[in-house]
Amino acid sequence: METVIEVKKATKIYRPLDFWKNDRTTGIENVDLAVYRGEVFGLLGLNGAGKTTLMKVLLGLLKPTSGEVAILGGTTNDIAVRSRIGYLPELPYFPKYLKVKEVLEYFADIFGIPRGAQRKKIGDILETVKLSDKADSRVGGLSKGMQGRLGLAQAILNEPDLLFLDEPMSGLDPLGYKETRDIIIDIHKQGKTIFFNSHILGEVEKVCDRVSVMHRSHLIDIQPLSAIMEKYGSLEKYFVGTVTEGAKI
Amino acid sequence: MSRIFAVSKYIFRQSFRNRIMNVLIIFAVFAALFSLAVSELAQEAEVKMVVDFSLFAIELFAFLTVVLSMTIQIFEETELKTLMLVMVKPIKRSEYMLGKYAGVILTVLMNAAIMTAVMMIIIRLKGGDPWDIKILAAVSFSYLGICVLAAVALLLSTVSTTVPSWVIYITLVYALGHLTVHLKNLVDSSAGEAVRVVVDFIYYIVPNLELFNLNDKINAAAGLFAPGYLLLVLGYAALYITVSLTAACFIFDEKEF
Repeated sequence: METVIEVKKATKIYRPLDFWKNDRTTGIENVDLAVYRGEVFGLLGLNGAGKTTLMKVLLGLLKPTSGEVAILGGTTNDIAVRSRIGYLPELPYFPKYLKVKEVLEYFADIFGIPRGAQRKKIGDILETVKLSDKADSRVGGLSKGMQGRLGLAQAILNEPDLLFLDEPMSGLDPLGYKETRDIIIDIHKQGKTIFFNSHILGEVEKVCDRVSVMHRSHLIDIQPLSAIMEKYGSLEKYFVGTVTEGAKI
Repeated sequence: MSRIFAVSKYIFRQSFRNRIMNVLIIFAVFAALFSLAVSELAQEAEVKMVVDFSLFAIELFAFLTVVLSMTIQIFEETELKTLMLVMVKPIKRSEYMLGKYAGVILTVLMNAAIMTAVMMIIIRLKGGDPWDIKILAAVSFSYLGICVLAAVALLLSTVSTTVPSWVIYITLVYALGHLTVHLKNLVDSSAGEAVRVVVDFIYYIVPNLELFNLNDKINAAAGLFAPGYLLLVLGYAALYITVSLTAACFIFDEKEF
């Protein structure tokens, strides 16, 4: 199996907020991880466990204090690698005075999608995220769920090989859950790799192939979802058990 | 280059559509129109009053435009975390910074152009020559001074941790930029060595915005502005902008989000 994310002994220690203090915080510690092409990989953990730090280290937004991180065979310092990844942050924000299509045109320009191809590309993406009728609407007029879908649209605009989703269900209603889940399943069917970070265990259960648990800055377990379901019967039971066990760290 | 253009277009669009910016532009137009009332106070040289007041208003509102446009950017980037979304895309950090700078000075240019147009109409109404090369040169150099200030503003935004601190820093730079030359003249003739060293330090670090103020020279007896002086100011602006943007790109490149 081809590895698309490879992390070896990655540690991130945040510098103190005030230079005269010595209160360093450990975001992640000695994390080893391998994510393979075509899988949906779920990252679970309590608040403050280090999930977002790990995702930021993978995306190159934070530099690891020690250890190695390889994405799609390179590093995120490389523009060619970044052109093959997509990222949806939790509760994405877009300027409210811009139109939906203008936001996507901006990202299409950055991705280097030729002007001539942009119109069709943006039309298709808006169709995928069910925002076609909102192309000319201002972002400020969209509901939270629609803004989330716009976030998803910019993340898949470049047809990424690797998609990072940070709490993609955050702020959505039950129908939004289903629509977002359907899109994720669709992308998965196209053979894309998805790195998925969520608190909503029911959704993780429905889309992930493998699941990992972070606790107190450590990645304490990685298991195939099928094995979890076989052994524990539900993801919730597995998660609570693993975190309780991990509390001894 | 296309990515720099994409960022600048995005910043310009975003700034120009912002309601607060729209209100600022309306105020700017009113300020330009106010020169009409000011000129009534002058019994003679009405055109001179219009030009003096308009140049002052254009620079002031250009400064406010830089502050507002950059405040919107810094707030959205830091508080609403829009920067993370862009930084994971295939764009160099230096390209983003240059695009942002271009977007801000384009917004200022639009605002200054509107005010200049109003000023020219009023000069025409008062019987003056709106296409007087000296007036247009004065407006252009005033804009150039704001371009220098915008480059410093961008540099300061990379080291400031909050929007209020950035606003304080840039306001100080703006005020000192106009005062240092006067302060230097004052201490050179009267102050002690220690004070002179401090003032010299500020004089060379803070951009000298008074260099771009050609207002006093418009009505000078000599014909056009001295070409040597204009070249010197252009060189100063180019150097200052280059150094500020290079430093801003360097610091931004090392940043974590």
